[in-house]
Amino acid sequence: MKTLTQASEPGTSAASFSGRRLVELMLRYNFIVIFFAVVIIATCLSPNFLTFRNISNLFQQASVVGIVAVGMTFVILTANIDLSVGSVVACGGMVASLLMASGIPPLVAVAAALAVGAAIGGVLGAISAYAAVPSFIVTLAGLVTVRGVTYLMSNGVPIGGLPASFGQFGSMQVPLLPGLHFPLLALLFLAVVALAALVLRYTVFGEYVFATGGNAEAARLSGLPVRVIVTIVFALSGMLASLSGVLLAARLRIGQPTAAQGLELDAIAAVVLGGTSLFGGRGGVVGTVFAVMLLQVLRNIFNLLGLGSFYQMTITGLIIILAILLNRAIDSRQGRR
Amino acid sequence: MAPDAALHSEAAAPSLDDIVLDVAGAAKIFSGNVVALEDASLSIRRGEVHCLLGANGAGKSTLLKIIAGAHSLTRGTLLLDGVPCRFRSPQEAALAGISMIYQELDLVPQLTVAQNMLLGRVPGRWGMIDRARRLRVAEAALARVGANFSASAAVGSLSIANQQLTAIARSLTMDAKVIIMDEPSAALNETELERVFEVIREITRLGVAILYVSHRLGEIRAIGDRVTVLRNGRTVDTFAVATTTEQILVEAVLGRNQALLERQARRPAGEALALDVRRLRGPQGLDIRDLRVRQGEIIGLSGLNGSGRTSFLHALFGDLRFTGEVMLSGTPYAPRRPGDAIGRGVALVPEDRKTQGLFLDAAIYRNAMLPSLRHRRLLTHERMRGTARPVLSDLSTRFHSLDQPVRQLSGGNQQKVVFAKWVVAGSRILLLDEPSRGLDVGAKAELYALVRRLAEDGAAIIVASSELDEIYVNCDYIWVFHEGRNIHRFDPTHASRDEILKVGLVGSDTTAETLS
Repeated sequence: MKTLTQASEPGTSAASFSGRRLVELMLRYNFIVIFFAVVIIATCLSPNFLTFRNISNLFQQASVVGIVAVGMTFVILTANIDLSVGSVVACGGMVASLLMASGIPPLVAVAAALAVGAAIGGVLGAISAYAAVPSFIVTLAGLVTVRGVTYLMSNGVPIGGLPASFGQFGSMQVPLLPGLHFPLLALLFLAVVALAALVLRYTVFGEYVFATGGNAEAARLSGLPVRVIVTIVFALSGMLASLSGVLLAARLRIGQPTAAQGLELDAIAAVVLGGTSLFGGRGGVVGTVFAVMLLQVLRNIFNLLGLGSFYQMTITGLIIILAILLNRAIDSRQGRR
Repeated sequence: MAPDAALHSEAAAPSLDDIVLDVAGAAKIFSGNVVALEDASLSIRRGEVHCLLGANGAGKSTLLKIIAGAHSLTRGTLLLDGVPCRFRSPQEAALAGISMIYQELDLVPQLTVAQNMLLGRVPGRWGMIDRARRLRVAEAALARVGANFSASAAVGSLSIANQQLTAIARSLTMDAKVIIMDEPSAALNETELERVFEVIREITRLGVAILYVSHRLGEIRAIGDRVTVLRNGRTVDTFAVATTTEQILVEAVLGRNQALLERQARRPAGEALALDVRRLRGPQGLDIRDLRVRQGEIIGLSGLNGSGRTSFLHALFGDLRFTGEVMLSGTPYAPRRPGDAIGRGVALVPEDRKTQGLFLDAAIYRNAMLPSLRHRRLLTHERMRGTARPVLSDLSTRFHSLDQPVRQLSGGNQQKVVFAKWVVAGSRILLLDEPSRGLDVGAKAELYALVRRLAEDGAAIIVASSELDEIYVNCDYIWVFHEGRNIHRFDPTHASRDEILKVGLVGSDTTAETLS
């Protein structure tokens, strides 16, 4: 079929070829196109949108769900899902807050919270990988259990009285250029993204993540430690969720056991919207970041227009459905599934 | 439609010129000017087994899909019983009497045979199912195909051959005039295939025509009345099977004269023992003794499906636990996982390259490099391409770009990418499980030329195959497996194919005794 294709296309000119190529690229990176379209709409709707202040606020607001979504991207790339992240966000924030409230230095408390998050993720991932239970079920149980434990830590009461230095950390502004300050949380989010992108592209571990999700059986028969890889990926997701929880606690200056309910769904939506395949093996964090920011900009537009959260939820849901249909269409164009 | 009416209608006696399906000048051009079929013609007579032969990419599947209503025609005509037809969906084609049996049988394993057979056409009214009638219809159809299993058995519990019979019986309940069978033999062993053949002969006597697609010339000779050959999207010619020769067909398929399936002169293997399986015991009664492979040697494993060939290869690859004594280049070898085997230079080319061997959506070079990343931490994509490129071109893999997804390659080239993985990894012992499955005649010849060359470079190679012809002409000797044991070793320069086949089928006890 291939040879026939070449032989039968003598008439196509170079110009139309590059045009078609541009369309292909735009389809492939549709989330970027959609993102900038929404940004342009936002700019037209409100002169306040494209200000440095508003943009840096958007990044700060997106940082919590953004960091969780980066971890989720790894999990989904291996064709798994992690429903426990919302609970782990709350758990991480509470662990750090409780430790600090009892006088333990913030750095130690944060390190402990990250370790707890990684351990929760790692255990859930290992159960799924070694006992061959779908991660959907294991992490659903994790979602409930971890939330329950988090409530038990303080009997459901928020933890205040955190060290002043911790609170300052949460609202710190870093001077990028003289006069232009960027929130530290937003910078941390972007740093996590950059690191994750490099890991996926330039490390053997990243290649193994893609291979495991692309075809677990072929990965195993190529000598890859598939179950170890899945465990590590879940540990990573748990750790990043816990980091998000710590950052959220720092921003709110309070440890909140009810925090981040349903956050796992926002994170999954962002990952899928960003073009990562739920079947695994295809996608990446860059798409995830664009999708996280897209959802944030949408929320911003609704706020600027004074539309309530009922509208926000409805429209956001519809946009996710449309984006997924678009990705399906692209898949079938390229002959996958 | 009344499904049981079909079973009781006696078709008219088949006459020679009674054309049931006539396709003329068929062309299919997909969007983007992809020409899948240029000019295909095919006439099928009532009650004949009409074979379709062609290399991968010749347009066979496209033609089948057009006939079965899954693709529309760009040009050309399709006459069914002399009436021009344009099917808009497979359902329309099925209603008109064209029934397709896919290679991956489209049966629901959890449902019963009867449920599967009448799926979508459940007898009954007001949404209530007439179970008794369904069972009756199903049993009548099963009797037609001589099935020895119950209509209330779950399809998933049946052997592949019996599932095949279920699919044929389903076609009968649909009053099919033409049944298309796409490579039905791919998952069957020789005995099972013979049963399917008997059923085919039986139903063609009733006037049903079969369009039979297969790569295997032996099967075409055994079952076919006529054979149409496709090449590059065009019909080359239609031959009467009884009066044509294998050579003529191979030339028609390839478009050039090539001696493909002849025994090639081989350089004698080296003296050094690469693999010495003194005793290997594994799951399901796997018990292998005294199987040795020298460097540069190609040995074949023959035997029925389930005789332990695949398990043996997976055990040697560290993918199945085994006990016993195996020596690799003179030192004990007991791999606990595939990584251990790869580290010792052992490689497995698995049975199904698409689900076990490749990452279809990943770039060619990433597929080829994956097993060789074990002792690295960071990736340099440029260096990966640089390592993969010469190996792939040395294996004469045809591709446009190293960054192309493997999915876009033909079957033969995909298999070369799997080989490239292990050449890059420096493997010295290659375990090949059905390496030629699904490849056309030309790609098969090329594949075995590659295997012989790897052996000449000093690799030790074990080929498990259900196609005796292939290992017969390509291997230095052949081990016959039976019920998990290696029961007899043959030298193909002395033993005949029939002898080897017979031992594989009956598992001669006397030879087993002389061995142990």
